[in-house]
Amino acid sequence: MIAQLLLTAMLFAILLYAQTTYRQAPIIGFLSVVAACWGLYFVWIPAHASRLAELVGIGRGVDLILYTWVMISLIMLLNLHLKLRSQLELITLLARKIAIADANDQLASLSAEPGGGQPAEG
Amino acid sequence: MAAYNEAPVIAGVVADTKAAADRVVVVDDGSSDATADSAAAAGAIVIRHPVNLGQGAALQTAIDFALAHGADVIVTFDADGQHRASDIAGLVEALARDGADFALGSRFLGGTINLPPNRRLLLRAATWFTRATTGLSITDSHNGLRAMTRRGASRIHLRQNRMAHASEILHQIAASGLKYVETPVTIQYTAYSLRKGQTLVDAILIILDLFARRLHR
Repeated sequence: MIAQLLLTAMLFAILLYAQTTYRQAPIIGFLSVVAACWGLYFVWIPAHASRLAELVGIGRGVDLILYTWVMISLIMLLNLHLKLRSQLELITLLARKIAIADANDQLASLSAEPGGGQPAEG
Repeated sequence: MAAYNEAPVIAGVVADTKAAADRVVVVDDGSSDATADSAAAAGAIVIRHPVNLGQGAALQTAIDFALAHGADVIVTFDADGQHRASDIAGLVEALARDGADFALGSRFLGGTINLPPNRRLLLRAATWFTRATTGLSITDSHNGLRAMTRRGASRIHLRQNRMAHASEILHQIAASGLKYVETPVTIQYTAYSLRKGQTLVDAILIILDLFARRLHR
């Protein structure tokens, strides 16, 4: 019973995580919800987990729950990767702004010099 | 043009392209060698990324800069010396002649020099994949030599920083609904450019990048 409550709390945490993720990565949010609901179902109806585990050749219902956790971990890993990509996009925008501002400053100072360069057009 | 550690060749490439274009803009993508100084000495306007971000990011920086400075036509050009500056006129003419917003260089309509058979196979596979995913009727999907009008360039917003930008730009061209044409160009492979070129592993990573991009907003 203690294990069931503990797993339930963790799976509810996954559901919360799914909700916060949904806006940025809908597919990750959806997969997290499916995996967490799947986990909750098997935690509270272990007989079904055992039956399904036998059917798919896993052996024990508890292994099926473990596999569900592995699946959830992989989904979260994928989400972390996507978040890193988003961060990189922000860094890119920032770096681009700095680079273009520097180039504009350089062009402005060049054209301010007597006989200096012309502004760029492409 | 986007350049990363191209010091051995960039001055020659800039000198060639200067003869064919009003302005040459080089985005030095965080090079650790003298790329930026060589390009500037050869007469290019140099924009320096503070860190290495990738060719796609550098091209978008160049496009944003050119648009901000009132460019009417923008030509993207590889910095490794495999493109010919003499092809630029053909691309720009094609825009005007056909009323298109994008003129895409095609080595398979034009010519290749020293193209290894395995690279040819990889390029054919990439073209097939791009045709299937974008619906564009093109013969060369990963050619960095292309021209675009101001209107076309303003529809390009590359978010693929690395090599997948070549596919992303075609997706955005298809999504824009603007007219595109293909123009024959010649690509000359050298030992230098081949060393910097893409491999089968890169092609797989490009597909994964394109897939990952679709998973988040």
